[in-house]
Amino acid sequence: MTREYVYEKMNEIFRTVFDDEDITLHDETNAEDIEDWDSLEQINLIVAIENEFGMMFDMSEVADLANVGEMVDLILSKDKE
Amino acid sequence: MNEYRFEDLKIGQEESFTVTVTEEMMRSFLDLSGDINPLHNDAEFAKEQGYHDKVVYGLLTTSFLSKLAGVYLPGKYCLLQGVDVKYSRPVYVGDILIVKGIVEELHPSVQRAVIKVYIQNQDEKKVLKGKIEVGFLNVK
Repeated sequence: MTREYVYEKMNEIFRTVFDDEDITLHDETNAEDIEDWDSLEQINLIVAIENEFGMMFDMSEVADLANVGEMVDLILSKDKE
Repeated sequence: MNEYRFEDLKIGQEESFTVTVTEEMMRSFLDLSGDINPLHNDAEFAKEQGYHDKVVYGLLTTSFLSKLAGVYLPGKYCLLQGVDVKYSRPVYVGDILIVKGIVEELHPSVQRAVIKVYIQNQDEKKVLKGKIEVGFLNVK
């Protein structure tokens, strides 16, 4: 799985969850960049990501994610396990 | 009231209860929603549209999912986070409904359970189907 592929899928997930086709993610994108990104939407995002990529995270792995880049890093590291 | 916490749930776990839809429920729902649409309030109008009687509000039927989540599955510690339903058939006053939930997904990372729900009538016909998403209160 390449970083580009993960970003393609992540863009689709974010656009669906936030109902906003204009979202384009970058490594530095965080909750301050997307108005509706609150704690409940964070749960919706994690669930959508787990289902899309067929993987489950630990609570500790998702608790301290600072931005989209760290989320993508986590997905890629899980893919190699 | 059940008191399941996230850790207690298993995929495939089920809970259900039975409820009869009454005229009093229809009056209460009219009062709180303000929906005076004749399909729900005028039997003659409803029959003219091809229904047997006035049709029970879809959201009244959906409201039983609140009891399913808050009392049965998971119960006391439920934090209802999402509801997604479709209506399959009309419901009428006097119908006896079985409200059922089955645990479909468990996401430990965010303590989220996805519960497949359906409601069927006394003829074993589904009148509602969908999913609810629940989280859990952090109460000791």
